[in-house]
Order: sequence, then structure tokens, then C-alpha cells
Amino acid sequence: MKRSPNGGRVNLVLSAMLAAVLLYFLWLFFGHIETKPNIKIGVLHSLTGTMAASETPLVDAVRLAVEEANQSGGIDGAQIEMIVADCRSDANYCAQQAEKLITQDKVQALFGCWTSACRKALKPVVEKHHHLLFYPVQYEGFEQSPDIIYTGAAPNQQIIPMVAWALQNHGKRAYLIGSDYIFPRTANRIVKKLLQAQGGQAVAEHYVPLGEQKLDAVVRDIAAKHPDFVVNTLNGDSNQYFFSALKKAGIRATDIPVFSTSIAEAELLAMGPDLMTGHYAGWNYFQSVDSDENREFIARFRHRFGQDKVLDDPMEAAYVGVRLWVNALREAETLDMTTLKILLGQQTLAAPEGIVAIDAATRHLWKQVRIARARADGQFDIVWQSGRSMAPAPFPFFIPYEERIAITGGAP
Amino acid sequence: MKIATRLLLLFVLVSVLPLALFSYFNLQGDEATLRAETMERLSGLADKKVVQIRSYLGEREREVSIRARGPEVMGAAITMQKAYAAGWRNAAYAVEDAGMHRYFARYVEETGLFYDVFLITPQGEIIYTQKHEADFATNLLAGPYRETQLAWAFRAARMTLEPVISGYEQYAPSQSPALFIAAPIMVDGQFKGVFAVQLGNELFYRVATDATGLGLSGEVAFAKRDGDGVLYTLPLRYRPDAAMKFRVAQQESTLVQMFAAVSGESGAGERTDYRGKPIVAAWRYLSELDWGMMVKMDADEVFVPVNQQRTLLLEVLLGLLLLAGLIAYYFGRQISVPLEMLAQTADEMADGDLGKRADVSAPGELGLFARAFNRMAGKLHESYRTLEERIEQRTSELNASNEELQQEVVEREMIEQSLQQSSDRITTLMNSVVEGIYGVDKQGNCTFINIAGVRLLGYQEEGELLGRHMHDLIHHTRPDGSHYPSAECRLYRCLQTRENVHVDDEWFWRKDGSSFPVDYWSRPTMLDGEWGAVVTFFDITERKVINDKMRVAAATFETHEGILITDAQANIVRVNRAFEEITGYSAGEVLGRNPRMLSSGRQSKEFYAEMWRALLEEGGWSGEILDRRKNGEIYPKWLTISAVKNEQGKVTEYVAIFSDITARKRAEEEIRSLAFFDALTGLPNRRFLLDRFHLALSQSARSHHCGALLFLDMDKFKILNDTQGHDYGDLMLIEVGRRIRECVRETDTVARLGGDEFVVLFEEIGANMQEASKKIALIAEKVRAVLSEPYALKGYEFRSSPSIGVSMYRGNAESVDILMKQADMAMYQAKDAGRNAVRFFDPLMQQAVEARAELETDLRGALHNHELQLHYQIQMDSDSRPIGAEALIRWMHPRRGMVPPLQFIPVAEESALILDIGHWVFEDACRQLAEWQQDEQMCHLVLAVNVSAHQFRLRDFVERLEAVIARYDIVPAHLKLELTESVVLGDVADVVVKMHALKALGVRLSLDDFGTGYSSLAYLKQLPLDQIKIDQSFVRDVITDPNDAVMVKAIIDMAQNFRLNVIAEGVETEAQLAFLKQNGCMAYQGYLFSKPVPVGEFEALARRLFE
Repeated sequence: MKRSPNGGRVNLVLSAMLAAVLLYFLWLFFGHIETKPNIKIGVLHSLTGTMAASETPLVDAVRLAVEEANQSGGIDGAQIEMIVADCRSDANYCAQQAEKLITQDKVQALFGCWTSACRKALKPVVEKHHHLLFYPVQYEGFEQSPDIIYTGAAPNQQIIPMVAWALQNHGKRAYLIGSDYIFPRTANRIVKKLLQAQGGQAVAEHYVPLGEQKLDAVVRDIAAKHPDFVVNTLNGDSNQYFFSALKKAGIRATDIPVFSTSIAEAELLAMGPDLMTGHYAGWNYFQSVDSDENREFIARFRHRFGQDKVLDDPMEAAYVGVRLWVNALREAETLDMTTLKILLGQQTLAAPEGIVAIDAATRHLWKQVRIARARADGQFDIVWQSGRSMAPAPFPFFIPYEERIAITGGAP
Repeated sequence: MKIATRLLLLFVLVSVLPLALFSYFNLQGDEATLRAETMERLSGLADKKVVQIRSYLGEREREVSIRARGPEVMGAAITMQKAYAAGWRNAAYAVEDAGMHRYFARYVEETGLFYDVFLITPQGEIIYTQKHEADFATNLLAGPYRETQLAWAFRAARMTLEPVISGYEQYAPSQSPALFIAAPIMVDGQFKGVFAVQLGNELFYRVATDATGLGLSGEVAFAKRDGDGVLYTLPLRYRPDAAMKFRVAQQESTLVQMFAAVSGESGAGERTDYRGKPIVAAWRYLSELDWGMMVKMDADEVFVPVNQQRTLLLEVLLGLLLLAGLIAYYFGRQISVPLEMLAQTADEMADGDLGKRADVSAPGELGLFARAFNRMAGKLHESYRTLEERIEQRTSELNASNEELQQEVVEREMIEQSLQQSSDRITTLMNSVVEGIYGVDKQGNCTFINIAGVRLLGYQEEGELLGRHMHDLIHHTRPDGSHYPSAECRLYRCLQTRENVHVDDEWFWRKDGSSFPVDYWSRPTMLDGEWGAVVTFFDITERKVINDKMRVAAATFETHEGILITDAQANIVRVNRAFEEITGYSAGEVLGRNPRMLSSGRQSKEFYAEMWRALLEEGGWSGEILDRRKNGEIYPKWLTISAVKNEQGKVTEYVAIFSDITARKRAEEEIRSLAFFDALTGLPNRRFLLDRFHLALSQSARSHHCGALLFLDMDKFKILNDTQGHDYGDLMLIEVGRRIRECVRETDTVARLGGDEFVVLFEEIGANMQEASKKIALIAEKVRAVLSEPYALKGYEFRSSPSIGVSMYRGNAESVDILMKQADMAMYQAKDAGRNAVRFFDPLMQQAVEARAELETDLRGALHNHELQLHYQIQMDSDSRPIGAEALIRWMHPRRGMVPPLQFIPVAEESALILDIGHWVFEDACRQLAEWQQDEQMCHLVLAVNVSAHQFRLRDFVERLEAVIARYDIVPAHLKLELTESVVLGDVADVVVKMHALKALGVRLSLDDFGTGYSSLAYLKQLPLDQIKIDQSFVRDVITDPNDAVMVKAIIDMAQNFRLNVIAEGVETEAQLAFLKQNGCMAYQGYLFSKPVPVGEFEALARRLFE
């Protein structure tokens, strides 16, 4: 077949048009992809000072959750960016940093604090800006804020069942020892009410300054009074001196077991596990929790931060806080704080410790309760657990309203 | 391939394929949208469901908690335990049991909320049950039922002393699954047992599985974790026997979503359910029950619209395909048939029939080709022809052309006939449709209209419309009654854009002036060579009416809230099941009647009048109302009435939705009294006040009346507390509250914020701000006077007085926070004014406070940023030789420039910044002094430094100073501290001890501003001073004012008597200098010599003077 003289030109024009159409479609396709600005969060933990040893691992836990969220697509394509501020173990400084993160860095949420003093300092800042704080540590209760999510235990999720268990299993006479600041003092007020309610008796109540090292006198007193068990709300290094003194005085866990609120795997590792072997601790999470979620969590954490790392309750609570926040934000499809806070009230999660759910009313978490005995290898054997998540009760039901006021100094 | 076939394929490719593709993607898009919307809706429903179940359980839990705290249960915990211990078959127990049974009878048997009630001792012994099932008198720690959920709930309540909700499991004594709620019983702080209830299953099922809003196939399913699978806990819609029996193992694919839900995760998606049917579902975790929940609908039902659309599309595409094929085939034949005939002719000619000719009737190029072929054939033939044949041929040609002509005539007739037929057909077609159709030319005038169009528009015949401007005739006014200019007419827009226009929210107007909502399409059309438009329209009045009805029906009708619908005349037309349950009336009894029949008679006429006003003006009302049940019982309910209006804004129905809030009210009352009142004084607390204040502000916004907020605190209250103890303080607070209450109206709110802070909220004090302020001023004064009266506290008389701040408001322009702050600020102003005073807030006050706060912030930065510096003013002796200098602080502010000390020192003093600043001054002065001591000339100078009262009162003031002196290694005698009288007044013993300590260091002490204070000579005499400084206010007028002259002389005399050095400051003229010298004052400081200058300038000046 002969081609017409201008057939070649026609083909050329046709190819050119086809190419143009293809380019147009490519442009349509890629023209819609845009990069989104990062979403910032502020992490407020003490990396220096007396709290550094406890708080530094929490930053890693937060980092793991953030990286996992970013790897799984971020927040609708936007990446999360962590801004870590060192609180220097100084509550007021920490509050200033929070102010700066909120007003200058424009972060969308804050994750941080360990001590109650720190939380009490941050609370007015966060509330002033109607901002959002995730607080990851068990505490004394009697607090509730629309702008704070408490991912650690409320009293009924740690100290109350722990002491009740001790009363049922070890006897009625309790010896209370704690560091001299807000958490131990408030916690012990609750404990004393509890002892009274359950027919127990506080044979003595003793406080030492934070960081106190001379505990021989207290231990002598314990030996003399010989209680059925000890409720220990000491915080920080004092614990090591306390258990050393116990050992030196020849008091064994089988004689007088000690029930501690603030010793987790990390602290146990730091002070040498053999000091505390056989004594008890109460938490919501132990590294030894037997579940797929936990095994995977430990594996992921160690893969990222090193095979020798130890996990404990506050780390898990910090990790869970970020996960809840990410889920709520993904659901919200907006950065609007109010929408986010409403959606947060509906979040549930299969966490390493078991299923957790944010209680919309109290802004605390439904959590499992566990009591465990320390082993010689630095891990814990769980001796009692609630079996399912318990509702948080930051204001204990069994303490009448007037007495709550007395406990909190008139500020419920 | 044949031409016809190729054309066919091309046609299909060009016309049908793109259409098919486009429709396909469109359909995909619709489906995706529908899917997303369905997910969203299901998620919303799931969330609602969670809240519903949570609040149902929460309410039950609260009821149980409240009962556990009630006197009946607390009492029974003690008495029953005793009776039980003595043997439950005894008479004593029977009496107790009967009492309890009566107490709980209504609670358990009538409401259906609960199935059974339990009283359990701390040791786990069940000492009371309502039903007396097999569990009675067993032990929950050791007995046969120790593994049940009741035992779990008991242990958890005992362990945490909190109310708890148990899991849901088969419960043997009841032979059915059961859920328990337990709360500890606390008597005098002692744990005395557990009060527990077993939830009524029936009602709980109903609440949980209610599938309102889930279409025809929807259901709500519940399951709990069971090993590696799940166990459905409640009956399923398609498996009514599933409850606690139907288990699905994890490996089954239908389990995925339920397993996620029971593992604590939530989500939504398309899955298959337990029947294996495709569904759309949303799933949630219920922490209260430790259950998973799934809200789901059959995918079939959800995607009905899309499937319908898909079928329709397929049909249309097939039709188009057929049509396109036929057309293509027809055109192909038009080309291929003449070609085939031509080929046949050529074949025949080749066979020798030279007379054969091709048919040339084919159009276009084929005709040309045939003609050329024929010419060629003709030429060929010609050479074989004779002349006759030529004549014959001509004749035959003529004949042929005649025939052709005739043929043409016939063809034309046929065309005309078919044209006429098609025109008739179009007319018939147009007149047979129900839609109106009309055409407009580009001016908008009617070119034709069908019969339906004429009828719809209310005309008799088309002649009335032809040639008329259609917009002005039928489309001149918008639905809202405003004029619709034809230039904006959307119908005509297609004339410009050449695009189809579809509108369904406008109205057409009939000949008789009435109107109707219309749905029309306007399509641009070429008519007779000009662009015009064809408009198709139809009346959608009916569609609108149906839509309205649908809206009402769509409101979820069968909920737990009672719903009642009346027509516009308030006759009941419909009620739902919940209505019947709550009121006790059946639908039959109330239909057609007025809802008045439900009223309790306890509400005033005004109340109903206000309700009707709101209904008529605002279209809705909601609030609490007392109604009467059929059995006569009066109960509170929360009622919301909305007026349903049609498009004209006329009310067609009223819908009333209500819920029975008896239980909630009771709980609220309890909580209110707990949460809103201050335990000590019985006054409302901060929370109550804020609540009240918010209300007051919105009330004021409506009424435009003024209100006021009064803040007060009691002076010296802290002293009372510290010296006499808290008992006395508490008594005083109670008395203060009582006195305030007596001064104000019943309606005013007196609240205690905490400590000794009280607030009074005055509402509705008149519309005029000035008069309102006057009134409040009078009341505040009265309060002040009353509170200043002495207090008799357990025989101890205490005097105190209030400081009162007032802020006024009208409307809600200012927020609660701001008004509280303003009143607070005014109160502090009152304090500053010397206490026992009333101050009104005014904006200047706020400015001043803010300016001061800003200054304080800057001042903090100033220390850091080295903005503070010391200037030095020279001090001279009578021989005009420099003897020293006074170090004076200066602040170089980066924005404000030089800030005078008078402005910032008071600020610093209030904030304790003065300590930092004072310390800095010492450091810097000593550093300077150390430098001078290395210099031959400057080393003689004595440097005077001012000490603030705060600094001086520091416990370790002397030690600090000592440290600084030691650090810079200066000669202490060259450092002079200038103390004002305010410094040395105070704790006499402490001051004297400190000053002696300073003397012991070797530092010199000078009394600044002497003569301005009130210090007595006797006191001064005790102080180890070296020098007295005559204040510049005396020096200034020493020449002109004889009083000052006498004063200065007296000071100098006195100093000499005490053997004290004297220096005068503020010396500005030679005359002043002469007077001072003449009267024996031998040291001077002032502008006459130099103003305070930076250190460089000062050194230059001093060196000049030394030489």
C-alpha cells in the first residue's frame, strides 16, 4: 500500500498529541502529591540532676512510639517531630520549658514529668493554654484535669490493692516508710485510711529527706517493732541504702516483706537485684508480663536501643501515651485540640500491659493491676493480678468527701 | 477486513469506549464515596452505642454506690450480720430479711433494672439475697460459687474499695448469664461488707442490641475473648441462640474484626460476618465489660444504589453499542455496496459486455469514481460504435437523463413526506411527555412549547406564550419573594456558556400568579441557524413534600427517649414505644389528644407561656418539666420540643423528645451538695460561683441589666490563724460568711473561694450602670462596716477589717476570668490604700498593674543582660577635696532608655528582685572599690552604697557582705553602708545586733534621708552610726525657708553632740554650700559638684580635683 504524501507528517502530529496527553495525565497525578509540614511534640524529662536516671529511658520509649508512627505513614502523611527539653530535675524550670514549647515551638502535645511536684508545676501552664499533657507515672491521685491524660496508675490501681493484698497475706501490722515530699505523704494518708478500713494498724510512719543515705536507725526501729510488712514509698537512691541496711540488719524478705511503690526493673537493675530478692512491688506493667503484645514490644525496643535494655512500667506508660495520642490524631483528621481531646476520651489500645482505655470522665487509664515478687535476676514474678483492666479512681470512693479535703489541704 | 467492519470498530472505539470508561470511573467514585460515608456513619453509631452502654452501666454503678452509702444498706450490714451469725433460720433474721425485702421489692421487681440484690460480709458470706436462690448463705471465698463473676466482683471491691462491674458469664444459681455490680460498704471508715446487684438481663439486652439507625439488615453484636477465639455474649439477630454458646476460633477468617475489638482495638471496614455474608462494620472495645462490640450492616443493603446504577449503566451501554453498530454498518454499506457493484460492472465489461455501465448515484468521491469509470468505459466503447449507434446512444442517453430527472422528483417527494412524518412524530412526542418543554431564542423569547408545558404554567394554549419573554413571564421572582432579574437567570446562562444547566431549587410562576418548585434542564440548541435553548421542566412540589416527610421520619424514632409528635394544632399524631413506657399511656389512649393531658399541674401558667413563646419565636424549647404518669406519679423529665416547619416557614408538626430524669436528678442533688458547697461555712464554693457567674453573664446579656462582683478578704486573718490556731480562724470565717449574708439580698450569691477570700455576686441591679454602681457602693460600704465590727470568738475578742474590690459588668462582653481578675485587682488596690477600704475596678488600675508587671519582667532580664550599671556622685569636704562617692544604680533599658530608680526600685522591692539587685550592687561596688584601692589617688575615697530594707533583714546579711568583702579583699573602712530610716525601724534588737556586727567588720554606717522619718532620738542613740546624711529636701530650701534652716542647724547640732559625722546631699548652689559650712557641716554632695556619672567620667573628675 502506498502512503499518501503527507501521511508521515500526520503521524508526527498524532504522536506529539499523544505525548502531550500523557504528560498532562502525569502532571495530574503528581501535581496532587504535596509534602506536609511536621507535627511537633514536646518531651519534658530530666536528663540531668537527681531524676535523670529514672527519666532518661522514658525519652527512648517516647522516641520508639514516634518512630513507629512515622514509619507507618505518620499522621495522614505528616511526620511527627520530637522536641526534647531537659527539665534538669527542677519543676519550675520544667514549667518554663513547657511554656516555651507551647508558645514558641507550637507543639501539639507535651509528654513528660515524673515527680508530682513537676506535674503540679506544669498543670497551670498546660491549663492556661488549654494544651495537652501526657503524664506517665503512677501518683497519689486527688487530681484531674481536662488537659492532662494520666497514663500511670491511680491509687486504686496500685497502692490500694497492693496494701490490701499484703493485709490478706501477711498480717495486720504495717510499717510506713517514705521520702519526705508530696507523693509519699499523700499516699500514706490513703494507706492509713485503708488500714483502718481493713482492720489493719500502722505501727509507725517515718519519712526521710529525698536522697537520704543513713537509714540504719529506721531499720533498727523496724527490727524493734517487727511489723508484718513494710509499705515503702521511698523514691530514688534511698531505696538502695534502705535495702542494704535491711540486709545488714539480717532482716529477710520472709521475715518482714517490703512492698514498694517506686521500684521497677530499671531501679532494681541499678541497685543490684539481690538486695531486693523476695520483696514485693506493685505496678501495672512488668517486663515479665506474658503476652504477645509485650514480647513484641520488648523485641522492638531492644532492636532499636540495644539488647541489654530493661523495660518497666513508666516506660511502657510513656510509650502507650504516644500511641493513644497518635491514634486519636489519625482519627481526628485535624489538629484541632478540642476535637482531639474528645476523641482521646474514646481511645482503647492493646498495650503491652493488656488492654488500656482512656476513661473519658477522669482522663485516667483503665489498667490491669499487678503485684509481683522480685527475683534474683532482676525480673519479677507476678503473684497477683486483677485479670482485667480496672476503672481508674483518682478520688478514692472509700474516703468520705470531707476527709479528702483534709488530705489534699482543701484543694480537691 | 471489510470497510463496514472497520468503520464499526472505529465507531465503537471512538464513541462508546470513552463513554464506558468515564461511566466506570464515575461509578467507582460514587461507590467509594458511599463506602466512606457508610463507614463514617457506622463509626458514629458505634461511638454512640459505646456511650449508651457506658452511661447505662455508669448509672447502675452510681445507683449501687449511692445505695451502698445509704443508711438502709449500711444499717443492714451491721444488723443482718448479727442476725445471720445467730442463724438465718431464726426469727431475728426473718424480721431483718422481711424489712430488706420490702425495701428492695420495688427496686428489683418493678423496674427490671436489677434481677437480684446481695449483701456480703467482709469474709465473703452471702447473708442476704432478694431471690433466695442457691447462692444464699454460701461463701464466696470458699463456697461452691467462688469461681463466679459475683465472687470476682466481691474480691475486686474488697481489694480496691471501689465500686466495680464484673464480667459476664453463666451464673449457675440463676441458670442464666449474669453481670454484677458491687460496691464496698463503709461504716465509720471501716470496711463492713459488699453490696452487690445482679443486672436484669432483659433490659440490658434491649439497651445493648438496639439497632436503631442500622437499616433493615443491621445489628449490634457483642463478644468476649475466649482463649484464642471469641465467644458471642448476647443473642445475635441471625442466631438467637448464640448467647454464651456460639464460639468462633481465631483461625476462621470471619473472626478478624471481632478479635481486634476484644483485643482493645477499634476500627471500621468491609468484612464477612459469622454467616459468611459480606458486611460493612465498625468495631469497638468496651472497657466496662471487657467486651468487643460490632455494629454492622449487610453490604448488599449498603450498596443497593450503586448496584442499581451499575445495571442501568450496563443497559445504556449495550443500547449505545447496538446503535453505534447499526449506524456504522449503515455508513459502511453506503461505501461498500457501490464499490462492489462497480467491481461487478468491471467484471462484466471484461467479459465482453461493453454496454454495461456503473451506477453513479453514489454520493461524493464514489460517484466521481463511478463517473470517471463510465467515461473511460464510454470512451472505450465509443471506438467500436457506428454513427447510428452514436445516435442511438444519444437517444438512450436522453432517455436515461429523463428517467434520472423523474427519479429525482420521486426522491424529493419521498424526502418531503418523510420530513413531514418526522415533524409530526416530534410534535406527537413532545405532546406526549409529562415534562414541560419549551424553546427560547437568544433573546429569551418562546419559540415553541408543548402541551404539558402550557398546562403546567396554567395557560390554555401555546399561542399565549409564543414570542413572549419567558423569564419575565414565568420566572420573574425568586422563591424568597425577591425580584429575579433576567440578567441573572440561570436558565439563560446556557446561552452564553453553551453548557447544559440543571436547576432544582427555583420556582416558576403560573398565569394565575401562583408558583411551584421546579426542576429544569436548559440545553443550548442550534435552531434555524441561531443559538437558542430548549428547556425541560417539571413540577416537583410532590417531591418536596415527600422529602419533608422523610426528614421527620428519618429522625431516629424508636430510641430510649420518649418521642411525641403533634400536628400544628398540638394534637398528638404519633408516639413511640419509650413514650408508652415512661408515661404509662398506650398510643391508642393519647392519639388525637392534646399533650396537656400529661402535665402535672405543678408548673405555672407563665412557664407554659414562656415555652410556647420559645416554640413560636425560636422554633424550639428544651428544659426540665414535671409531668404526671398514668398512675398519677409525678416525675421530672428533660424535654426538648422542636417545631417542624415546611419550606414556607409554616409549622407543620411539633416533635417533643424527653427522657425520664428521676434517677439522674436524685444523683445530681447528691453530687451538687457535695461538690458545690464549702464544707466549713456552708456557702457555695468556687465551682458553684463560676457556674452561677456564667449563668449571670448570659442572663445579663439578655436583660441588659448590670451586675457586680465583690471580692473581699479579711486583713490580719493569717495572724489570727497563726497565733490562736485554726479553730479560731474557722470560727471567724463562719462569722464573716454569716455577716455578709445579712447585708445582701436572698438572691445574691455569697461564696467562699478558700482561705479568707469571699466573693459576692450581685445580679440584676438595674439597667443604669451609674445607679447600679451607687447601689453597690452603698452595699459594699455596709459590708465593710459590718465586717469591721469586733469578733467575739470563744471569748476572745478579735478586730479585723476587710479589703473589698468591686468589678461591674453588663452583658457578657467580658469573660468570667477577666471580671474575677478585675475584682481581685481592685481588692489589692484597696489593700494598698491601707486596708479596710472599698475600691472599684477601673481600667487605669489595670494598666498600671500591667505596666508594673511588664517592668518587673524586664527587670528580671536586666540583671541577666547587664543593663544595670552603677553611677557615682562625688562627695566633697569643706576644702573642696574629694572624700568619696555614692554609688547609685542606673538602668539602661534597651527600649525605654534610662529608667529612673524611683520607678523600678519599688517594683523590685515588691518582688524580692531587690535581693538580687542589692547583691549585684554590693558585688559591683566592691569590685570597683578593689580597683580603686590599687590606685594611688583613688585609694583614699570612701564608697557609699545604699542598702534596702529587704536586704538588711536577710538573716545572713552580715555573712554575705563579709564574703563579698573577703572575695574582693577591700579595706572595709572604705565601704560605707547608707541605711534609710525604714531600714533601721523594725525589730530593734535585731537591727542593733546586725549593725554592731557590721561595725565589727569595720564597715562604716550612715543614716540616709535623715529627718524625714519618725525615728526617735533615743532610738538613734542606740545605733552605732558613723554619719548622718541631711536629706536634700531640707537642703533645697535652706536659704529661702527659715523652718528648714532651723531644722538643718538642729540636725548638725545634734550630730555634733552625738559625735557623728554629717554630710548634706542635694547641694546645688554656692549659697547653700556657704550656709552649711557656716553651720559646721563639713561634707557635701550635689549637682554643684557633679551629677552621678559613669565610672570613667567620675575617675577623670576626681583626678582633676585632686590636682
